[in-house]
Amino acid sequence: MPLTLRDNTATITGTLTVEEVEPLAGWLRSTDRPRVNLRGCTHLHTGALQLLLFFRPTVVSRPLDPFLSTHIMPLLGKRNKELEASS
Amino acid sequence: MNPLLAQFLAEADDLLSQVDEGLLRLEREPHDADLVNEVFRAAHTIKGSSGLFDFPELTRLTHAAEDLLDAVRGGRLELDATMTDDLLAAFDLMRGWLAHVTTTERLPSSANADGAVLIGRLRAPLGGQDSPAPAGHGPQAAPAPAATAPQWVGALGEEWLETTASWLEATSASLRFVRYTPEEDCYFRGEDPLHLLRQVPAAERFVPVTPAAWPQAAEYDEYACLLSFVLATRAATGELEYLFRYVPEQVEIADLGATALTRLLAGEAAAVAEAGIRLGDAEQAQDARALLEAALHVLSALPQEAAARAARVSSVERAVQSVARALGRDVEFPAHDAESVEAAARALLAALETAVVAEEAVPAPAEETVRSLAPAGPAEETAPAALHPADGAADGGKVGSRTLKVEQEKVDRLMELVGELNVAKNALTFLAASAEEEFGNRILGRRIKDQYAGMHRIAEELQAAVMDVRMLPLSVAFARFPRLVRDLGRKLGKSVELVTDGEDTMADKDVIEALGDPLVHLVRNSLDHGVEAPRVRVEAGKEATATIRLTAVSDGDAVVIEVADDGAGVDPERVKRKAYEKGLITEEQLETLPEAEAVNLLFLPGFSTAETVSDVSGRGVGMDAVKASVERLGGTVTMRSERGAGTVVRLRLPLSMAVTQVMVFSVAGQRFGVPVDAVVETVRVPAGEIGRVLRQEVIQLRGEVVPVVDLAGTLRMPWSPAGATRDVLVMWVGGQKVGLLVERFHREVDVILKPMEGLLADHPAFSGTALLGDGLVLLVLNMKEVLGVAAHAA
Repeated sequence: MPLTLRDNTATITGTLTVEEVEPLAGWLRSTDRPRVNLRGCTHLHTGALQLLLFFRPTVVSRPLDPFLSTHIMPLLGKRNKELEASS
Repeated sequence: MNPLLAQFLAEADDLLSQVDEGLLRLEREPHDADLVNEVFRAAHTIKGSSGLFDFPELTRLTHAAEDLLDAVRGGRLELDATMTDDLLAAFDLMRGWLAHVTTTERLPSSANADGAVLIGRLRAPLGGQDSPAPAGHGPQAAPAPAATAPQWVGALGEEWLETTASWLEATSASLRFVRYTPEEDCYFRGEDPLHLLRQVPAAERFVPVTPAAWPQAAEYDEYACLLSFVLATRAATGELEYLFRYVPEQVEIADLGATALTRLLAGEAAAVAEAGIRLGDAEQAQDARALLEAALHVLSALPQEAAARAARVSSVERAVQSVARALGRDVEFPAHDAESVEAAARALLAALETAVVAEEAVPAPAEETVRSLAPAGPAEETAPAALHPADGAADGGKVGSRTLKVEQEKVDRLMELVGELNVAKNALTFLAASAEEEFGNRILGRRIKDQYAGMHRIAEELQAAVMDVRMLPLSVAFARFPRLVRDLGRKLGKSVELVTDGEDTMADKDVIEALGDPLVHLVRNSLDHGVEAPRVRVEAGKEATATIRLTAVSDGDAVVIEVADDGAGVDPERVKRKAYEKGLITEEQLETLPEAEAVNLLFLPGFSTAETVSDVSGRGVGMDAVKASVERLGGTVTMRSERGAGTVVRLRLPLSMAVTQVMVFSVAGQRFGVPVDAVVETVRVPAGEIGRVLRQEVIQLRGEVVPVVDLAGTLRMPWSPAGATRDVLVMWVGGQKVGLLVERFHREVDVILKPMEGLLADHPAFSGTALLGDGLVLLVLNMKEVLGVAAHAA
């Protein structure tokens, strides 16, 4: 399973396909202060990326994947910092 | 495929061949003004229709060709061989593109680049701004980076852009910038934009752009893609085009150098963008206007039918959208209906006008820089020789559907050969029989029969395939009626609407052709006798406009065609009286004939109920002529009528007349055939069970009395049945069962019926001859006539 959902941490490993977008969305909706572990994630479906940008969960572990780490992470991280700074 | 597009493709194919032919002739007779006009018109039509679809490259290229032809037409230019070559190349390129469109419904990704080169060459003789590459230019010359950067590049971040700009400045290099805006429902098509973007080689920077306003959390739809992406890469434009080849309309690529980035950062480009419309050159504005006007024109003449209407509106919507995109504008359609599309088109037109004015006042640095999937527009300086028009032609084949126009004689010849193959094939069974009987070799006989079975299967398939070639849709037969009904309706002062249904039902070409006259007759009859004048209709509580309905459905081996009207219907009493007056029925029949059967009197020769003989119909050669010609085709006619509610005439015709299945039997040693369709059953009855009613021999079949005709006697052949049993072939003829006394039954064979020729041509008892496998000629009986002869003889 690329997606493991716990009480307040979701762990994404491998490739997150469009199939997992809906459960992830449900979990993000219902979870208070959600945290996401992207360490083992190699690819996110665009829908999932959009979810992360929309719900802005705290990313607890940077992905090892170079593409995600270089191009996607800064965005998720920055948004969170900005959010924290503004609130 | 969108029916509008399919039609365009088919039309374009014809137009392109017209252009080709015209151009070639023009080369020989360069001063033929009509010829120039013809070619110009064809090119113009292609341009006009192409505007309805999302093919800006095609429209631009035809536009350039059209301009050149216009100059030639106006006598401003002399057509020389080079120009002809360029024109031919341009139309060849279009053909290639359209072939690509036929298979993929979009232009090849190289269209813009290829088109731009040819546009340059076509414009060169006009002294246009788009001169072809200078001679000294090497074929590898890279397209020049654009001078201004689109606004979206700003998404990459000021800081990064500054650094990059200074680096590019120092190295005189350029980067490719891509904006990718996936469609909202792209996930449902299995697209994963992020996955696609991961594959962009040498990506320098990549930024997902979140929408300006996110929806409320409650309304957030995780399956709607709201993101777009901007990225900068060192990859070449070609690589990007390849990568995004499936979504070219969602991608913008710009090749930008330091100057453009600096300008962007200085806010200079913003001034251009604020004009609302990014104008390329005058040509683009003109194209855009032509497209929008075409769109408005289509919207003003939408078809009534809902599905066709929706298809047309949505294709116009796409066209308007692509114009908007080319102009650097976004259009929103509040609803996908004709009104909102029209409003958007009008708004764009208005904006275009103001922009043109503004443009003239302030010559802005308005070099067209961004186009869907191409770095530079007209300024592109690729070597002209590097064109590859074969690119599209090779992967698509023919434009439109892959059809072949074949002369009918060739198909007929093929059919004839199939017939002969059938005959030759049938000979094998005789061979098998003689192997067994004459040479006493059962095994060889068996083997021949096996071979026969194989050949039979192949021959049947071959026959089906050839028949399929001959099949035509009934729309061919229906095509003339809208005009006929309109003209006749006006002439008779009746308001009639024609509704056709099932035009795509297929039938053999011969059937369709032979159907023409009877159908015309029936429709005329309906108009003349069936449909009442509008005043009468209103008095009867009907709508003033009558409806004539032509319907075709296929029914097994037959096709059923109905001509129905909602007119006055047939008055059975009047029909009977008229028939009696004309001496067609006896007084007794006048009293006893049920009303339902009275309508059938209309089919009697010499019957016409119209009070006055009009020039439309009613010369006394009415329905009987229809009946005769339909029966000649092996079909039947029935009529159903309700007073005041209308009349329905139903024709039932065989799908094909080429091959007839015939039941073979012999009488007095002579073989005859009858069409299998008419055969009900074959029975063997004890000789004693044949009785007599009046002077007619009859048999009783499951409680039913069936008259039996002695064929030998009727045809005056010396034969009298021997033995204790009689073989009777029971057939369905003219609405009743009839038995035929025969000597022996043979088999069913497929034959090609040839009409009787020469002295026998008018012999009514035979409908034709066929060659049997053993070389004998089979006479096929026309049962109706045979019964007539029998009745006469008795």
